[in-house]
Amino acid sequence: MARGLAREAARQPGGRPFAEARVVEGRDVRAIPVGEPVTGPEGMGFVDGIQRFAVEGHFGVTPVVRAQVAAAALERHGGALRCAARSVEEFLTVPRDRLTTDQWEALTDVGLPIQESDPGPRPHPLLDRWAAVQVIEQRRDRCEADAAARFLAARPDAWLVVDGGVTGLAAVRGADRAIGVVKSHETQFLEATDLEAALTLPAGSRSSAFVRRGAGGVEATSWYLRLWPWSEEDLLHGLARVERLTARGALDSADDVSRWLLAERSPVADRDPRWERLLYPMHHVEMYMRAEAGGWH
Amino acid sequence: MALTRDSVPVIGRVVATETLPASPHQFHFWTPTATPIGIGAIVRVDGEDRTVFGVVLDARAYSDLVTPLHEVIGAEGDPGAAAPPTRRAEIRLWTAAVLRQEPEEPLQPVPLARVRLATPADVTLALRMDAYAQSEPRSAIPVGLYAAGGTRAPVWLDPDFLLGPESAHLNINGVSGLATKTSAVLFLLSAVFQHFPRGKGRIAAVCFNVKGPDLGFLDRPAALTPQDLEMYAALDVAPEPFDRVRFYAPYKADGVNLNTLRTHPALAGSVEPLVWGLREVLDYSEVLLNRDDIDAKADAFLDFLADRVVGKPFIDEWGGRHAVESFGDLERLFRAIFDGLEAAGGRDMWRTHHVATIRKVRNRLMNISTRCKGLVTDDADGNDLPFGAFEDRTVYVVDVAGVDQLGQDLVFTRVVSKLREHLERRDLGVEHVVAFVDELNKYAPADGPETYVRKMLLDLSERGRYLGLVLFGAQQFRSQVHRRVVGNAGTTVYGRMDMDELATPGYQILSPATKIKLATLPKGELMVRHPHFTQPVFVRFPRPASLQGRQGVEQFPPVPDVAFDDAVVRQLAALDRRVPAARVKDLIADRREDDVRRALLATRRARPHDVLAFFAARLGPAVRRQTIGDPAPGADVAPLRTVEDPYAP
Repeated sequence: MARGLAREAARQPGGRPFAEARVVEGRDVRAIPVGEPVTGPEGMGFVDGIQRFAVEGHFGVTPVVRAQVAAAALERHGGALRCAARSVEEFLTVPRDRLTTDQWEALTDVGLPIQESDPGPRPHPLLDRWAAVQVIEQRRDRCEADAAARFLAARPDAWLVVDGGVTGLAAVRGADRAIGVVKSHETQFLEATDLEAALTLPAGSRSSAFVRRGAGGVEATSWYLRLWPWSEEDLLHGLARVERLTARGALDSADDVSRWLLAERSPVADRDPRWERLLYPMHHVEMYMRAEAGGWH
Repeated sequence: MALTRDSVPVIGRVVATETLPASPHQFHFWTPTATPIGIGAIVRVDGEDRTVFGVVLDARAYSDLVTPLHEVIGAEGDPGAAAPPTRRAEIRLWTAAVLRQEPEEPLQPVPLARVRLATPADVTLALRMDAYAQSEPRSAIPVGLYAAGGTRAPVWLDPDFLLGPESAHLNINGVSGLATKTSAVLFLLSAVFQHFPRGKGRIAAVCFNVKGPDLGFLDRPAALTPQDLEMYAALDVAPEPFDRVRFYAPYKADGVNLNTLRTHPALAGSVEPLVWGLREVLDYSEVLLNRDDIDAKADAFLDFLADRVVGKPFIDEWGGRHAVESFGDLERLFRAIFDGLEAAGGRDMWRTHHVATIRKVRNRLMNISTRCKGLVTDDADGNDLPFGAFEDRTVYVVDVAGVDQLGQDLVFTRVVSKLREHLERRDLGVEHVVAFVDELNKYAPADGPETYVRKMLLDLSERGRYLGLVLFGAQQFRSQVHRRVVGNAGTTVYGRMDMDELATPGYQILSPATKIKLATLPKGELMVRHPHFTQPVFVRFPRPASLQGRQGVEQFPPVPDVAFDDAVVRQLAALDRRVPAARVKDLIADRREDDVRRALLATRRARPHDVLAFFAARLGPAVRRQTIGDPAPGADVAPLRTVEDPYAP
């Protein structure tokens, strides 16, 4: 059991390693075979985003970070992906409270929008950068939500797969057609035998569904889905967490949605180290975004 | 010339990376997977301040798959698994060679810009044909239609570079039966005759038919499809057979039946006999000598015969008077020499020539009259191509398909040499002659002994363009032809090629994709290299408007050889239908066949108004057969003593 850990550096979980959830499908979490993979409906969309940033300079010890975030929704017809919606934003981010008026005016003269980052209690090179990244990730989430909202509005019958959770889309019309695929498992919602059942799912099975509560109290119905067989070395290998906004039908369609996602195992997104849980269309969106963005200096 | 962007749709974009850069001579571009272009397509790149024309040489397609193993994993090991819901990102990456840049200076890398298919006007510019194909009057020879991605454009050759004097000669290469070499040459000849500017002089073609009935029906129309007619119209060539064709063929060994497959009664009289006497052969006697024979002694004796004996009165040391005009006369001279030497006590020298040398030369010369009986006559009179009276836009077909190799070499050498002599003297009748020789690998092989034929072909390749004598050569394997012969061809044409041939060093400049295309070229499609084209270009050409060998033989099946007297009747009837067969047969009954042949040849040559009377006059009065009594007992004639002949065949 310890072999896998010995091979790679153990990662520090994020700020929320545990969160509450309630099982809504039976009493305990169990493995549910979902059946043969089935290709999702024609016209299905996929949303993902990218972010890039660089420290452009400093005012004293205060870093000025330039960032670009972008997101796109690609729709699939006949196996080919085409861009249906796209959102790009480039900006500067600094802790405004630490700048003088002259410094601030100099920044505004650059001509890029400026997003303020958390100044913290006092300057710290690493914390300042971390604060900038927080801003950048929020802007990227907004970009993704914007692309998703435009896709769902323009295509009222189409399903949309998003990278990550869906609670941020609660205000978007048509968000009940969004399927979130979460690759990271930094937050654990289950414990004890439920957790063991979820993390040892056989390939092609999902866990019982549970409901978790997101920001602003938005509820999402979620389940784990084993895309590829796990190995002794890594329980998380091939394991994704799927979620939909809790609404009528979300639970009933869990098997169908799972079968659609199982069908996405091929082609393999083999250029990405997370290939065993990264769906190829999402990889394609990311590739598209990077190609679109071109060189960025 | 102003080059402007037009409404032609964009089909791709130039891409360049550090490892795959765009250069002044090559660039890469991508297209969607569904694209009309292919290998050989001509494209145009419109940059900010320059336009570049290129021809597609190679193509690649690949996806973002890192290793095939991941494809296996994705399909869970089942090649029959359902197709994945998403197609992998895929690229069609094309490599093109620059044909032309506008402006030409300063020469710069190809701009990273949009790519369009070339329009017909672009094709003209790209292949630098504007200098000659757009002049007034136009001075250009259509060779075929460029066709790619829906664009069709005539491709023109510059007559100054095809027929001289700038460069000259054409070499065509490809596997038998599939490369359509003969068809291509016939179409091109037709185009040359119709488009060669009158102001540049008169032009004729001499075609050596070396196999079967290939060139035997050039004056007869072929069936053409609507597609062929459309191509003829696009190329501005009238779809008609050659209207002036002269056929020549030697006789068979019987001396009266022509050695050709063009013997159908409907075509009777259209083939002229090709018959040569001693004089014609002696001038090219080197052809008859093999490598071991070529020495100063044999040469000296041949020169002696040519300068002092043949065609002149000659008195030998023993008082014999000789007027050597024919092989028969020459044989009598040789006999007199050998007898004289024998009678003089077995001397081995005659006029500084050793008897062994004399015997060697005698055997070689007499051998030709045996091996090429029908082409070479023992008589003095022959029937030749009309050197000095060649006519403009006329094809002279010399059918030597049925003649043995030695005879073919002799015909080929003599005809080409005579053409060269007359062109040098400017008295051939035309200023330009195209000599079409198939199976060039046989006459000018890359290796093997140095032959007179090969030397002559090398000379023709290297000097012919100054004289107006142009070689259109064809062969199956270019690598097997002497490199100076193929290297001197200004224009090179490739039909369907053999992969083994394409693997030889001569084809290293071609991209793998171009080689594959060459190995799979359909009939009627060729790759052309021409001095104005910086890269080879693929063209299509229509079927020749002249009937080709196989169809010709089906339409005009040759008749079997007939008896001597019937053959004489047939030949005379071809000159004058009113000639009564019975009368001819009566005339030649009991006459020596050689006398009849001589009279027949003279009649054919003279083409008199009264054929029968002329023939009878040349035949002369019959000498009545007279039986003399038995010789007196004891009056036996002693056999001649002979010297052993080490060169006897």
